[in-house]
Amino acid sequence: MAKPAMAREAFFALRQEIARIEGRLADRLEVPAGVHPAAALPSGMVTRRNGEAHQQDACIATGLEAFDGSLGGGVPKAALTELHGREGRNAGAVAGFALGLISLLLKGLSVIEPIVWISVAGFFREAGHPYAPGLLQRFGIAPQHLLVAETRKLEEALWLAEEAASLGRLAAIILELPGNPQRLDLTATRRLHRRAVISGRPVFLLRQLARPEPSAAPLRLVVSPAPAGLRKLLTGPLAGSIGPPGFTVDVSKSPTARNDVFLLEWNDDEHRFEYGQPASADHGAVVPATRGAEGAAAASGAVLALRRPLTSAPGHQLPGRQRPEDLRAG
Amino acid sequence: MGIADARAMHPAIDVVEQDIAADRRLLEGLADWCDRYTPLVALEGTEGLFLDITGCAHLFGGERAMRDDMLTRLFHQGFAVCCGVASTPGAAWAASRHTRADPSPDCAQARAEPRADWKRAIVAPGREEALVAPLPLSALRLDLATRDGLESVGLRTVGAVLDTPRAPLARRFGKAVLLRLDQALGRVEESISPRLPVPPLSVERAFAEPLVQLEDIERLVLALGAALKQDLERRGEGARKLDLLLFRVDGVVRRISVGASRPLRNPLLMQRLFRERLATIGETIETGYGFDLIRLSAVQVARFDSMQMDLTGAAGDHGDDMALFADRVRARLGEGVLMRQAPAESHIPERAVTMAPVAAAMAKFSPATVLSAAAARKRDRPIRLFKPPEYVDVTAAEVPEGPPSHFRWRRAAYTVARAEGPERIAPEWWCEDDGQARDYFRVEDTTGRRYWLYREGFYGADGMQPRWYVHGMFA
Repeated sequence: MAKPAMAREAFFALRQEIARIEGRLADRLEVPAGVHPAAALPSGMVTRRNGEAHQQDACIATGLEAFDGSLGGGVPKAALTELHGREGRNAGAVAGFALGLISLLLKGLSVIEPIVWISVAGFFREAGHPYAPGLLQRFGIAPQHLLVAETRKLEEALWLAEEAASLGRLAAIILELPGNPQRLDLTATRRLHRRAVISGRPVFLLRQLARPEPSAAPLRLVVSPAPAGLRKLLTGPLAGSIGPPGFTVDVSKSPTARNDVFLLEWNDDEHRFEYGQPASADHGAVVPATRGAEGAAAASGAVLALRRPLTSAPGHQLPGRQRPEDLRAG
Repeated sequence: MGIADARAMHPAIDVVEQDIAADRRLLEGLADWCDRYTPLVALEGTEGLFLDITGCAHLFGGERAMRDDMLTRLFHQGFAVCCGVASTPGAAWAASRHTRADPSPDCAQARAEPRADWKRAIVAPGREEALVAPLPLSALRLDLATRDGLESVGLRTVGAVLDTPRAPLARRFGKAVLLRLDQALGRVEESISPRLPVPPLSVERAFAEPLVQLEDIERLVLALGAALKQDLERRGEGARKLDLLLFRVDGVVRRISVGASRPLRNPLLMQRLFRERLATIGETIETGYGFDLIRLSAVQVARFDSMQMDLTGAAGDHGDDMALFADRVRARLGEGVLMRQAPAESHIPERAVTMAPVAAAMAKFSPATVLSAAAARKRDRPIRLFKPPEYVDVTAAEVPEGPPSHFRWRRAAYTVARAEGPERIAPEWWCEDDGQARDYFRVEDTTGRRYWLYREGFYGADGMQPRWYVHGMFA
């Protein structure tokens, strides 16, 4: 008689342990120990959605129901988030998406805290230095709130990111690294993630030209550029103009395990994300003109082992809309 | 005497070329080492050091004990040193030279019983005249021509010069003779010029048993910092720059500096900063036989504004954490790693922003330099800027002054789907810079990547082909 009860007890203990490792609330009513007080509600109340404990204000909500739902509520505030760029020349889009999220985060803060952008020597030269006037114009991030660090070695960048993450006085930490360095393994990402969880500050790991590998980040988004929307005039959209920047966001790893692809646009007047319009009529197909042979940049990283036909052909990606169907079919 | 003559007299002689720079380094190393006796150490020519031991001698048990300690230590380091202690630099100089002036009874004897030779070398105050009077003119720091002139008229000792009427002496041999004389006798003030500024505060600890472990040094910083804190509190100041001096047993001195962006008083914070510094340069410190004296100096101090604590014990200002973070990064990774951008008065995109180390920027960030968001909204600027702009290969633009339809950059071809522009940015003619006007275009390629291209120069002007560059990437 006692045996099933014991087994159930052990089962619940395991579930709680898993929840603790994953950094989310266990399925119970009080706020468990180890969760940052800032992440919980002042009253200690925990709301439940779909049978799962859900912390309000624990995520950077974009306000887009489907996108947030696919990520399990939004991009978590107290966690490591990986943003991947398949090609080096997507660095602008990947950084732009991260900065958009940070801009949303800063909007909710009463006192603006600085953000820090860390990279290793030579990378900014390759992908472009952060440029304050552009950041201010597009994302409303003032230059005095942006710290930029370029370290000589990867170890130093990781040290700096860890220190910044555990400081608790920085609104967000961006760590931008190229490729798949050995030192950036499960342990390193786990250290970053733990510090983010404890201090309640998001760490965005921007990885350019990296193949996805196991990491402690609960969320991995692959960001690619998408054609911008049109500028809106009083008389309507202005044909041929380059308006709000577009992003194709491929949710490659998330707590909900839904592999969705979204086309988002950054509205720099309102400072929020919106759903983008799929390729407009005057634009034609969104397929690169350079197909492989001449002039194409080398594929980003190695072809990966996941059975996803789309990712195996970088550079030939299809419009975002078509992807989920393909995935389900495959 | 030439080398040949010298070789003829002593066939076994070893000839070594003079290395002035190495001599200088050695002397400076010695001067560093002498820091343990007094902070006021000055180089004297190429072969001597002046130490101002005013107010320091009692720390070592008096002048005699101090001199004996110094000479014994130097003797064990392998230096033959002549030393003079006097109330004026001139008399001390004379005393030290005089002991060396007659080494003939000889080095062997001096080595066997060095103290006998040193006995004369301490001159009591007021006894300067008695010391220098019997000495030859070489005790006066005069140049050779003046000395020869004086000797040619029969003035061969300092005493003889002293007895001569002053006015004719000055007329004939210049004021230098009288000045040197007065300086030696203390009638004229003379100050030495120390090599390093004197730190306002320092704390040190000497060890009978030398320290070898870096961890012990780290712990010691805490103890020294606690002592320094009391002095800083008394003065109402905090340290902006701290130096840790490690005196190795064999005479090598290592100086480790850390800076603080805010005045610092807490020994724990000092220890943290030095821990970061030691973590980076720890391997380069050779402990050898250990350090027998360790000193912590506050090299720069600034007024320390006390902060009201609230009831939970937390200070009201959150800037402290950031300042400490910036200082730790600076101590560990170097000065220019953590930077902050500040807008500058220029419309050339790459000059519109300057980089400043965070610590410096924190000290002076004036609202005048804050970019106005409203002004910034008017122009589209990229979020990433290439420094320097990268050359792109454009075969031809469809319209001579228009955007390109295709371009190659980093060995990849791009097709421009949409373009906006041009935005013309003229060079700053008031600077000494004859750059060409640039026409900037925002272009989007067929996959949606947005670039900031510019054309330098015009088509058809002077038969020169304009060049195209990519200057930035948009989100």
